[in-house]
Amino acid sequence: MSRSKIPVDLILSKLAEEADKAQERAQKASDVLLDDLDTDLATTPYEVVYQEDRVKLKHYLPITETRYKTPLLVVYALINRETMLDLQPSRSVVETLLQQGIDLYMIDWGYPTRKDQFLTIDDHVNGYIGTMVDHIRQQQGVDKINLMGICMGGTFCVIYSALHPDKVKNLVTTVTPTNFDTDKGLLHIWMKGVDADRLVDAYANISGDVMNFGFLLLNPARLMLDKYVGFFEHMDNKKFVENFVRMEKWIFDSPDLPGETFRQFIKDFYQKNLLIQNKLEVGGNRVDLKNVTMPLINFYGKFDHLVPPEACELLTGRVGSRDTTDVCLDTGHIGIYVSSKCQREFAPRIAKWLLERDAPSVRKAPKKTAARKKTGARKKTGARKKAPKKKPKKTQSKS
Amino acid sequence: MGSEQNSFGDPQELFSAWVKTVGDFWQGAFKAWSPEAATQSPGENKNKFKSANFQGNLSAALNAFQAAAAGLNDPAAMQSLFKGAGAMPELLARLAQNSLGSFAQMQQKLFESAGRIGKSAEAYKFEDLDQNIFRSWGEIYEKEFKQFLKVPQLGLTRLYQEKGNLALDKFMVFQTALAEFSRLLALPVTRSFNVLQAELGELADKGELPEDSKVYYNMWVKILEGHYMTLFQSPEYISSLGQTLSAMAEFAQARDDLVADFLAVLPIPRQKEVDELYEEIYRLKKRIKTLEKKS
Repeated sequence: MSRSKIPVDLILSKLAEEADKAQERAQKASDVLLDDLDTDLATTPYEVVYQEDRVKLKHYLPITETRYKTPLLVVYALINRETMLDLQPSRSVVETLLQQGIDLYMIDWGYPTRKDQFLTIDDHVNGYIGTMVDHIRQQQGVDKINLMGICMGGTFCVIYSALHPDKVKNLVTTVTPTNFDTDKGLLHIWMKGVDADRLVDAYANISGDVMNFGFLLLNPARLMLDKYVGFFEHMDNKKFVENFVRMEKWIFDSPDLPGETFRQFIKDFYQKNLLIQNKLEVGGNRVDLKNVTMPLINFYGKFDHLVPPEACELLTGRVGSRDTTDVCLDTGHIGIYVSSKCQREFAPRIAKWLLERDAPSVRKAPKKTAARKKTGARKKTGARKKAPKKKPKKTQSKS
Repeated sequence: MGSEQNSFGDPQELFSAWVKTVGDFWQGAFKAWSPEAATQSPGENKNKFKSANFQGNLSAALNAFQAAAAGLNDPAAMQSLFKGAGAMPELLARLAQNSLGSFAQMQQKLFESAGRIGKSAEAYKFEDLDQNIFRSWGEIYEKEFKQFLKVPQLGLTRLYQEKGNLALDKFMVFQTALAEFSRLLALPVTRSFNVLQAELGELADKGELPEDSKVYYNMWVKILEGHYMTLFQSPEYISSLGQTLSAMAEFAQARDDLVADFLAVLPIPRQKEVDELYEEIYRLKKRIKTLEKKS
């Protein structure tokens, strides 16, 4: 039996070479880390045009002529923050949509405190979202607005659209879970065994840090180890460090989740899967997906480990609309918004799809100074207008 | 014994002499202290000291003692007394025996119980110690230790003791669940190293060992990731996750209940009271919104 030859000399010389490189990198890294780093998130200018409790309605200042008749309201999830859509210039969904001439609004859910523990899904959907939609309709003088939802925010948008189809012109859902009866995503497996009642009764709200720890556990090898190894390998690169820190800031900026909303989301969605079966009740009304009659485009990530394609793709087949599109991108849950590749595929496609369903109407950009984060909140309730009933476009495309 | 009896004399005589000496001493002392009392005979004092003060009570007690002592000087009475006194040790012994018996019985039960510790977990066997130790400890705790924390508490502070015991119990259950959960999380790390070692062995046999250390790291991370994915979908992990979260919540609740009692003495509102207020505000706001919509 011959003993194989191990290239010990080569391995050792490679190690020595790497040690030299690491030393050199560490020297450069200290310069980078001590330098003035630009790690600000969400720098695109906006105004807070409405506020109810802790929830704010952001209105982004246009950077070009508004080409759309219908404004777009983006509803983010209650987990993490909407700043992810505006992570940095050139990697910003917000910026891309503004460049396309969309009149853009976004809900900032703020940071729920213990006093928010009793807020239900009804309070978020019919309450906050409903009030914001009405405010935009009144402010813009339109009957309907476009609605775009991110993850759990998408689920809220689907519910809102089913309950108030007369106020939604087009619906965009992105990585939106609607079918919870799948074993493809770990969250779907884990949540079936979670005793939501016990957690909510004990903690009132569910801590953002606890949820974040749960998300890290979805892939500890990559998220708790490999990611930081990657950081050490590139920490001499200023741009890389800035981007990395921005992402870290976003990931660990986790508001708590109101207890009653968590309870309902786990029990009615993850455990009973009521939405896709048209059995869900919100605010005393049954949510019938057949009422979602407006055009719908449904984005999801092929490699999404949080909301797998199986959790998203049933929606278009269950809604009442016949103008539906599924778009499966070769990316993950977050990559869909922040990866360089998706910057070209995702937001521009939404803009194009909306434009095709929006009568062209060039509006002059209002003369507003591009001040950063104006917070002149004013509280108004929008007057409701009856939306004209139109037959939906009967085309269905899948891509 | 007999010699002792001779040297100290008859116990009856001795007792009689002691009673007389004590009576005379206190009588003398009392006379010196209160000349008035000296004139009274034991029979007379009955009505005189009705308006009792301390001095009067003391005098009455001494007279009563003297009367009793005089009575005891009668040989028949002494014999009767000593007969009764002879019965005392027997009675005390019987009482002590019963009490000690009960105590010993309880002790025996405790020891028996302690002796049983571990037997209930035999099914898991300690051969595979690293895998089963936390689960076994959990079983042992549930079956053998927990009962002691459930012993009914008595008295004024029973409610607080009960809450303390409950918090301790929930803490133990949470720690056990957390230990088991942590063990599961650590498993892929150790196993991935084993697999990596085996893979490197194969590569070494083929003479294909990589020169770049990053390749080794990438191999290991990939194996580790695979192991975690397998673990996270296993019923053991899902069950452990659920148990840990529930145990954590139950402990938090028991701890908060206990802390609330301590806080109750301070001039600050308790969490429960604040929560009730929040709920009231929430409901009021909802009602106002509904009314606004209707109007």
